[in-house]
Amino acid sequence: MIGLLTLIVVLCFSACQKYLDIVPDNVAVIEHAFKLRTEAEKYLFTCYSYLPKNGDGWFNAGLMSGDEIWLPQDDQTHWHPAFRIAEGQQNKDAPLFNEWGGDLKGADGRFNYLKMFIAIRHCNIFLENVEDTNKIPDLPLAERERWIGEVEFLKAFYHYYLLRMYGPIPIIDRNAPESADPEDLYYQRMPVDDCVSYISDLLDKAVEKLPARIIDENKELGRTTKSIALAVKAKLWLLAASPLFNGNTDYAGFTDKDGISLFNPTTDLTKWEQARDAAKAAIDMAEANGHSLYAYKNDVLSLSDETKTQLNIRNAVTDRWSVEHVWALSNSYFVNEALCMPPLARGANVDRFQLQGVWAAPIKIAKMFYTKNGVPIEEDKTLDFSKYTDVRTAVDAEKYNIEPGYLTARLNFDREPRFYADLGFDGGIWYMKDGNATGSDINTMYVQAKNAQRSGFGHFTNWNETGYFIKKLVSWQTTTNSSNAPTWRSYPWPEIRLADLYLMYAEALNEVEPASSTAIEYWDKVRKRAGLKGVAESWTNYSKNPTKYSNQDGLRAIIQRERLIELAFEGHRFWDLRRWKLAAEELNKDITGWSVLGKTTETYNIEKNIFSQTFIAPRDYLWPIGNYEIRRNPKLVENPGW
Amino acid sequence: MRKIYSQFFANAFLMLLLLSMAKIGNAQQQITVHGVVRDSVGGLPGAIVKVLGSNGQETSTDAVGRFKINATSHATLMFSFIGLKPERISLSNQKIDATGNVHLEVTLLADATALEEVTVTGFGSTQKKASLVSSITTVDVKELKTASSNLTNALAGKVAGIISFQNSGEPGLGTDNSTFYIRGLSTFGSGKQDPLILIDGVESSATDMARLQPDDIADFSVLKDAAAASVYGARGANGVLLINTKMGKDGKPTFGFRAENRISTNTKNFQFADNITYMTMANEAALTRTPNGIEPYTQNKINNTAAGADPYLYPNNNWIDQLIKDYTVNQGYNLNITGGSARARYYIAGTYNRDNGMLKVDPINDFNNNIRLNNYSIRSNVDFNVTNTTTLIVRMYGQFDDYQGPIGGGAKTFENALNANPVMFPAVYPAAKMPFLEHPLFGSAQTRNSDMSLSSTMYVNPYAEMVKGYQVYKTSNLQPQIEIKQDFAGLTPGLTARAMGYLRRYSYYRVNRSYIPFYYSAILNPQDQSYNLVALNDGSANSLQPVGREFLDYNQEAKDIDSRLWLEGAINYNRIFDEKHAVGGMLVSYMSSYENANTNDVIQSLPARNAGISGRFSYGYDDRYLFEFNFGYNGSERFDANNRWGFFPSVGLGYRISNEKFFQPLTSVISNLKLRATYGIVGNDAIGNVNERFFYLSNVNLNDGAYGATFGRNEGTAVDYRPGVSISRYANPDITWEKSKQLNLGVDLGIANSLDLVIDAFRQNRTNILQTASNIDNAAGLMAIPFSNFGKVDSKGIDLSASYKRNLSRDFWINARGTFTYATTKIKKIDELPYSGDLIYLSRNGYSINQAWGYIAERLFIDDEEVANSPIQFGDAGLLAGDIKYRDINRDGVITNDDRVPIGYPTEPEIIYGFGSSFGFKNFDFNFYFQGAARFSFFIDAAQIQPFYQSNGYQTGLLKTIAEDYWSETNRNLYAFWPRLSTWRVNPNNETSTWWMRNGSFLRLKNIDVGYTFQDIKKIHVKSARLYFSATNLFIISGFKLWDAEMRGNGMGYPLQSVYNFGLQVNL
Repeated sequence: MIGLLTLIVVLCFSACQKYLDIVPDNVAVIEHAFKLRTEAEKYLFTCYSYLPKNGDGWFNAGLMSGDEIWLPQDDQTHWHPAFRIAEGQQNKDAPLFNEWGGDLKGADGRFNYLKMFIAIRHCNIFLENVEDTNKIPDLPLAERERWIGEVEFLKAFYHYYLLRMYGPIPIIDRNAPESADPEDLYYQRMPVDDCVSYISDLLDKAVEKLPARIIDENKELGRTTKSIALAVKAKLWLLAASPLFNGNTDYAGFTDKDGISLFNPTTDLTKWEQARDAAKAAIDMAEANGHSLYAYKNDVLSLSDETKTQLNIRNAVTDRWSVEHVWALSNSYFVNEALCMPPLARGANVDRFQLQGVWAAPIKIAKMFYTKNGVPIEEDKTLDFSKYTDVRTAVDAEKYNIEPGYLTARLNFDREPRFYADLGFDGGIWYMKDGNATGSDINTMYVQAKNAQRSGFGHFTNWNETGYFIKKLVSWQTTTNSSNAPTWRSYPWPEIRLADLYLMYAEALNEVEPASSTAIEYWDKVRKRAGLKGVAESWTNYSKNPTKYSNQDGLRAIIQRERLIELAFEGHRFWDLRRWKLAAEELNKDITGWSVLGKTTETYNIEKNIFSQTFIAPRDYLWPIGNYEIRRNPKLVENPGW
Repeated sequence: MRKIYSQFFANAFLMLLLLSMAKIGNAQQQITVHGVVRDSVGGLPGAIVKVLGSNGQETSTDAVGRFKINATSHATLMFSFIGLKPERISLSNQKIDATGNVHLEVTLLADATALEEVTVTGFGSTQKKASLVSSITTVDVKELKTASSNLTNALAGKVAGIISFQNSGEPGLGTDNSTFYIRGLSTFGSGKQDPLILIDGVESSATDMARLQPDDIADFSVLKDAAAASVYGARGANGVLLINTKMGKDGKPTFGFRAENRISTNTKNFQFADNITYMTMANEAALTRTPNGIEPYTQNKINNTAAGADPYLYPNNNWIDQLIKDYTVNQGYNLNITGGSARARYYIAGTYNRDNGMLKVDPINDFNNNIRLNNYSIRSNVDFNVTNTTTLIVRMYGQFDDYQGPIGGGAKTFENALNANPVMFPAVYPAAKMPFLEHPLFGSAQTRNSDMSLSSTMYVNPYAEMVKGYQVYKTSNLQPQIEIKQDFAGLTPGLTARAMGYLRRYSYYRVNRSYIPFYYSAILNPQDQSYNLVALNDGSANSLQPVGREFLDYNQEAKDIDSRLWLEGAINYNRIFDEKHAVGGMLVSYMSSYENANTNDVIQSLPARNAGISGRFSYGYDDRYLFEFNFGYNGSERFDANNRWGFFPSVGLGYRISNEKFFQPLTSVISNLKLRATYGIVGNDAIGNVNERFFYLSNVNLNDGAYGATFGRNEGTAVDYRPGVSISRYANPDITWEKSKQLNLGVDLGIANSLDLVIDAFRQNRTNILQTASNIDNAAGLMAIPFSNFGKVDSKGIDLSASYKRNLSRDFWINARGTFTYATTKIKKIDELPYSGDLIYLSRNGYSINQAWGYIAERLFIDDEEVANSPIQFGDAGLLAGDIKYRDINRDGVITNDDRVPIGYPTEPEIIYGFGSSFGFKNFDFNFYFQGAARFSFFIDAAQIQPFYQSNGYQTGLLKTIAEDYWSETNRNLYAFWPRLSTWRVNPNNETSTWWMRNGSFLRLKNIDVGYTFQDIKKIHVKSARLYFSATNLFIISGFKLWDAEMRGNGMGYPLQSVYNFGLQVNL
């Protein structure tokens, strides 16, 4: 009996074991990703997919969180986390633009892209597998090397991206196993200097493996090259050498829970040398591989010199895969043209949903641009801008900049080409290729920004709060002169332009060799393209302070302003002001604009206060990590002030 | 009347006389017997005394147990009383006194057969109730017969150990089911939380149970502790409901037929304010936060509406009245036939139930939009004696639902009624207005923005929404089942074996058919004050969307098909040695496989399988000392091969003190006393949601477009795009089932054979609850939060049931019964951040799993200055006087998530109780039952009832309660029910807080039942018939008046139903 029972039990049991094994062998698991080259390539692309979507204002903290672009104050349709930071709503309870917490706490669907730590983990998984030559047998060695280089670069870039936001970050060179206890997955923030040298070393490793240039442009443009990696390294060192991260005594007592100082309070000038050398290396590599400053050529439209200069400036950004783009993001084309451009006079499209023109530059940004003599408006001894809100009538000689006969503010007259190339304003010309039947720049479209006018206030959600539109980011080849929806000529977002590298080099040189002539040489290349004379010539002839460029501090101030002008509306100002520790000064100013509710020249051209921005130093220089993240990792320390 | 009686007595006397004379002739002396009948307490009223024999007479004892009866000197008397053991006494041995009288003192003892009652335990075996040590509630099936057609609604308060409540009264697929948990909800895992339901051994859903007819149920047991449930191993942690249907009986066929006609009404409707108040308050709402706002309703419109002007120009709707009926009528029929011979027996039953909804039906369409749920079932249980020792049982069960109802269901209609503007449009314009059109002229209007500019949507017309179409769904559920029982008494006495298998196929489909209504708006003709209609969505140039369509369109929705196979084999052994040693044993082996046809991926499509061996060993000595050991050893396909099999043992001890010799003197008072204790482990393998099955495997999408990348010039040439990789689960081979360690201590107490008490106290430690670990640093970069078995919760409680039976006289009996269940939980470990120090108050540890967390509302803000000087709430700088002021718990100067504290009782009741009584007098019976719940809180969903809030075409109506008590500039009541009005969502006012918290305790008259039984109406071949009236949910006593408190926060849903039922039960 008992024997029979035992037999039944044993038989049943062994049958049952098999019976419960229902999962087929081919269910997709992570190992499948590294069995064949085609699958592994998807993993490579996955690592790339986390690159910031800077071509969309929603995800470009640099573009929208500072004081460069403002949105309608009384309507929050266009507000998003990045802009709410500009509105002073950053907090540690639910941090805005919460890269550290990723999407885990973000409610809105579009937070989902903020997953930098996940990106780093993917890079590590990729490297672990691809570095093992037993895996992916059909992957050739040369391609394997390149892939490893690309992912090492991405891993370094993702670290750099976090470093720029948060300061000290954990260095995640290897993944902890995911099944480990939560305690094993607690990361510690590392001193800034350690982070910088880790990222720098990783970039050096990547550079060796990367191709100098992309050969198969149809398939691979946008993938990493030596130039890109070197340019990011230059950015890294410039950040590391700048006052925020180099000897910043504000953070002297900022330590982790073991008492290790996270910021080095002593200034180290050799970091500027590193920055200089890195920028030079990046420039050399970029130039050797075909990059140069953009110039508008093959003019079949017989445009005026003024317009051509403006196109030089605009197209340096908006020309698709422009020669000047050292690194353009093939996965993030600029998508906000409609937010930049309003319906224009002489244009056929008046649909405020298609042409919203919501992105607005505050008056202080308009003031930042030089006069036509290439010096600041407050320094120009030949031009008086003290009564900049007075109006004046545009004359025919100004027809490529301002509609002749139009009454507009003094501030909009006698300005450098970059002012006219970057901004649309009441009465300002907005040249587009299809602005009129011939493509000529005479009698073309212009802005009428007063209340109830085409580009002005009146729509219930889409209006421009200051009266300055961001012309710079709209490609001149976009077709808007039709009642149909515009066909936007979008372009891969230029993350790093050659002009940026030149200015970085100049900035670093001035710190190492004060008032360096090499610095001025590189920087004058940028001024020249912008239709201006060299620094020395401009200051000597027009500035109330003609020798400013010949000392380190003076030159530094000029370089900084030049950088802000040249790279305006490209998402750099926000980071640069922080890096230079100037944010506390600049971002505590009021946001002002023209009185866009005004319907007449008199009522419109009054400067009105829109928002009083506040920047609390040193708190706001670094992102809050947030209560949630701090609480779930006992080893984590919050940034000072939060 | 008196005359008839006296004549009757005269005749009887005459007959007795004649008889006695005859008997004397047979030397059988006629004597009178008198005496007293007692039970263990004392004189027993209503005991029956009968002279045995062909025409023996009968009497019953009086109020103190005395009786008097005539009999012959050799007769035998029988003394009986329900629940007590009948006693026979022969008069031949009795001493006859000189006057020919015999005096008898009779004591009736407890009916041993009552203690022989069996209880159904796991895997189809039975145990004597007397030798049971585990905690099993046996439900008296009669108790389950209520006026509700849904069996799940009969459990609350009637079954000790079940916590149950109903949220909605809408007929449909599970919509009016009660939620129920055995001994409360004791896990916070995301998997299965409710008990395992086995109907004839078939794993069934709550809806399957809902459709079961009490008529067909033979027995109903609730396995509450580990000793009872551990044979179910990894499926028994939440307790088990065992329901068996009736089997046939030897004998001529008998028919049972029951017909019921039920009138159903809403227990409570929410009340709207009148429309003049609506408009004036809407105007106030538009201005109160925006001083330069625009009033939506002109004084002219308000005046005309008040004056009752043309209802099409000045509509004045009460949507609830217009859409909802006062009552509806439902029917239910059940027919069963049972009978058989020595070789074969059958029980065949058929049921038809018709449940109608409360929606008003209008002849505007030829289809009926009201809810109409027909359910049919047929059951055939047949058993054959294949040989003398082999029985074959075949059960066939088919159950079918046919549903027709409005699109979105009935609750949607209530929701639309609440969220429709009452004054902007009538339900429908007279067809005569546009005689050339065939479609109904539904009313609507174009909505406006806050600045009164026209927006691009139309108001939602709840009437049109209700009548525009209908949905139909049908379910089929087929269950053939076969079972063989073999008696191996030939091999060794007491050994039997059994094998059972079933297949269950379920299918469900649903289709919608609807047209798109054409909407019209009235335009005033100022000349003659008449109106013209303009079409709003006729497809012309400025037409709004969606454009109307006269003909029906069709779409099919979710289909559901699944299949389950079950095989089990068992060996049972039961034998008593030397009359004292009762030995029992059982060994069961089973396997099951479940497949679902509509899945989204490979993982879901794989069958769910379970296999195992379970056993029981029991030993009882002299029915005094009882011991039991149970185990389940089973495996589930969900876990890694190394962790797949689990062993779930339990032990139980019982001691029947009342069977001890030394206890005998007490048995007249304490007729039964048993102490029980059990301890064991049960598991729950249905953890995580259905898509999270194979925790030991990673879940990877190797073609995820969201993580792809693109490269290339993109100048008319193809770019290189590849999708990327995403991970939605990391492999964790260690994940296994939830474990529940349960201790149960019980006492069974019988007092004087009339009062029975069963008291169980329990403690349960639930561990291994599957949870995500959210305290993993985000810097780890995990794409999916890993799961592990770390949650822990303790629960404890007590459940008791008491019943009292008494026959007061021969014709009058009474019984009373009550249950009480208390269950509470305490979290020991849960996924939360590692709170410590100042933040320790945020930890949920130590609180019930249903504890709500929210803000403490102090009162409304007095004025704007107070707002300015108070902590900013949720970052909203726009709050004003009359908004809710919350307490800054951590005093950090801002109101954030960190200011939440546990508030109120748990959101599920901790106490469920019920009590009731039945009386019978002659052929009448009367029965009532109260049911209550206590120790729970719920929250009014303020956002849901915010008046005037407009979203697309919906605009929330104004509840009377709000109109009567709200903060306004002129009535600055700091404790008003409703804060300052608003036309938009002022989110800080809608947070979960004490402001909206209400005590949910209630007591309701759950049902009453009055019946009259016709006995032996032989003329029309009726054995018995009972005519009855029953009613359920007659009234509720609760501090909360807005809606039925049992619906808790779901007050705007389909109300619970009061049902008045007329029925007839006939047995042939």
